[in-house]
Amino acid sequence: MAKEMIAMLLAGGQGSRLYALTQKLAKPAVPFGGKYRIIDFPLSNCVNSGIDTVGILTQYQPLVLNEYIGNGQPWDLDRLHGGVHVLPPYQQASGSDWYKGTANAIYQNISFIERYNPQYVIILSGDQICKQDYSDFLRFHKEKGAEFSVAVMEVPWDEASRFGLMVADENDKITEFQEKPKNPKSNLASMGIYIFNWDILKKYLVEDEADPNSENDFGNNIIPNLLRDGRNMYAYHFSGYWKDVGTISSLWEANMEVLDPEHSGINLFDENWKIYSRNSGMTGHRISSDAVVENCMITDGCRISGTVKHSILFAGVTVEPGAQVEDAVVMGGTTIKAGAVVKHCIVAENVVIGENAVVGAMPSDGEKGVATIGSGVYVGDNAKIGPNAMVSSNVKGGEEQW
Amino acid sequence: MVNSNADALGIIFPNTYDSLVPELVSERLMASIPFAGRYRMVDFILSSMVNSGIGNISLVVRKNYHSLMDHLGSGREWDLTRKNGGLNIVPPFAQKNIKMYTGRVEALASILTFLKSQKEKYVVMSDANIAVNFDFKAFMDAHIKSGADITVAYSKDEIPAGVRKKDDVTADMYFTFDIKDGRVVKMDINSKENGVKNLSMNIYIMERELLIKQINTAYLHGHSYFERDILATQLDTLNIQAFCHDGYLARVCDLNSYFEENMKLLDEANLDALFSGDSIYTKIRDDNPSRYIGNAKVKNVVAADGCVIEGEAENCMLFRGVKIGKGAKVKNCVLMQDTVVEDGATLEYIISDKNVTFTANKELKGSDSFPVYVSKHQTV
Repeated sequence: MAKEMIAMLLAGGQGSRLYALTQKLAKPAVPFGGKYRIIDFPLSNCVNSGIDTVGILTQYQPLVLNEYIGNGQPWDLDRLHGGVHVLPPYQQASGSDWYKGTANAIYQNISFIERYNPQYVIILSGDQICKQDYSDFLRFHKEKGAEFSVAVMEVPWDEASRFGLMVADENDKITEFQEKPKNPKSNLASMGIYIFNWDILKKYLVEDEADPNSENDFGNNIIPNLLRDGRNMYAYHFSGYWKDVGTISSLWEANMEVLDPEHSGINLFDENWKIYSRNSGMTGHRISSDAVVENCMITDGCRISGTVKHSILFAGVTVEPGAQVEDAVVMGGTTIKAGAVVKHCIVAENVVIGENAVVGAMPSDGEKGVATIGSGVYVGDNAKIGPNAMVSSNVKGGEEQW
Repeated sequence: MVNSNADALGIIFPNTYDSLVPELVSERLMASIPFAGRYRMVDFILSSMVNSGIGNISLVVRKNYHSLMDHLGSGREWDLTRKNGGLNIVPPFAQKNIKMYTGRVEALASILTFLKSQKEKYVVMSDANIAVNFDFKAFMDAHIKSGADITVAYSKDEIPAGVRKKDDVTADMYFTFDIKDGRVVKMDINSKENGVKNLSMNIYIMERELLIKQINTAYLHGHSYFERDILATQLDTLNIQAFCHDGYLARVCDLNSYFEENMKLLDEANLDALFSGDSIYTKIRDDNPSRYIGNAKVKNVVAADGCVIEGEAENCMLFRGVKIGKGAKVKNCVLMQDTVVEDGATLEYIISDKNVTFTANKELKGSDSFPVYVSKHQTV
């Protein structure tokens, strides 16, 4: 049976600007929002939109991601026909190649897509936090009779030059594409989410591959080629919550926004649009008599005896008596020992923060750094980690890092 | 064949001791009573079996088993969705003279054909009224080493008030042992004695062939009860060894003990004792993390995912999806999944079942010795 639309999810990103967090795992596998990973968002969107076939293109540090996806069951993507498939680069009769660019990654998996004989293919990005109904996007694509549609967000004009911009007429038909222009003609930023008619996508992928000068990239090559040929291209306006969590500060910010769904627009508590994830299976969290919890999110397996304010604690975090945690994102299995002060920072998985150690600091004097501790790091007793530090190896007791 | 699994199949009796907690089982059975924030009673024994390498488990249900079927589904969360073995729920078989089984003998007789066709050498059997991280591997090893015909697990405990006070003949029986050199030499049924006893956990292991033989004989004689009619009468001829479980366990014997056993888990030492071993698996609900907003004040609470707390909670066990509104005060309560306490309500010593709503500014109080129970889907 042919599928109307299947999804191809680009998850090969190294996420180099998240450095300490992406040493051992790909960016889409970075934990987010207390019990999720970034990739849970596009995967849950797919399922909630009725897409039951997803190819995940991986390349960089795929182990954690592969294990996490498994057979796709947590997202209801363990299907007889379709379901979720992790697609790393592989060797072919004509040789083998890493994915040279986003378009090349799809090109190398043309045969995967053809197994399902879809009418449409949606290209998704594995490094955004976004709740989006792709079926509404497809309805738009069909209504416009488009061959290619791109989801766009209105951004403030003064920031527009940081984005790939779509210039569109009053019917949303795209007339021009500007990649990070000095003089923006539009404030419609591409979200990197595309719907193609499969026959068109295939034609352009094949052409692009034959061009030795191409970077094999959607933004730099495929979209300009479509424009050149005057294809029916439309911009679909998306106005919900969307965040590219490519930097430490944007990742931290997005986590903080989860704490304030009433204002930020990122509501993880939506019964009608659940975000699914692989569960920790830990027992309920415990808050002891001396603990103080204010405005935070706490997950199964946590043990709280200290003070936790405006923070997100992932599964199995321990906060010992007298420890203070504020404005912090603390990922799974981390222990914050007695008297430690952890503020305005991201602490990755399975970290130990020693007694009376200090990590990060609340912003002051325009200093807004988000300290970051990489996974598995041991921060010794009385150590001090400054607000701009990015720590990926153990810190001895009493040492300071800035 | 490489065999990482135990050479035993498991049988669980999910309805045993239903009679002790009529309130909690009005729409369910013992095995599906919610416990410890995110579990059902059956999760403990089921997970223990799975963690000990038992991958072929049958639950012989008697009645009210919809909630259990819903909870277990295909058994995936316990890794029991298997081609060989896996999870097997056995409902009563409709016959011309349909009769619900009363004792284990009839229950087992109804699955005799199944038992005969299995390959495992041993059978382990258990009820579901005890929350325990039980080491079936050690239990099995002890059984094999001792050369016993049957081994039964017990704990050294006082006979719980909940079972003692039941005097009517319909109540499920309980058993205490006299043990000499590890062997059960005397078995008391419904003893009223005081003090610490060797109290049976009703967890058994024996060879499958022996079980089939014993059930055949007992059934032919019209016997119903495994303990009373098979074990107690053959203490001389069968070598029945006793296996002491000295780890943590929580018995549900009546509403009070249900309340107390939940409360005991607020103590970190107890929580660790029950959960720090192998994982206890349960049905996944995909709740979001729990959220503490505004003036939430929380002391000595165990809460599962999906809770939204805006008021005060002290000494509480909160199940998945509990909501406590602004200005509400909840103290010494066990609130089951999706209980809603609206703004300004005050609760003390309450056990609320699933989906109960306490309306705004309502005040409801039980006492330490008599917690008030509010049944499923009620609005107070």
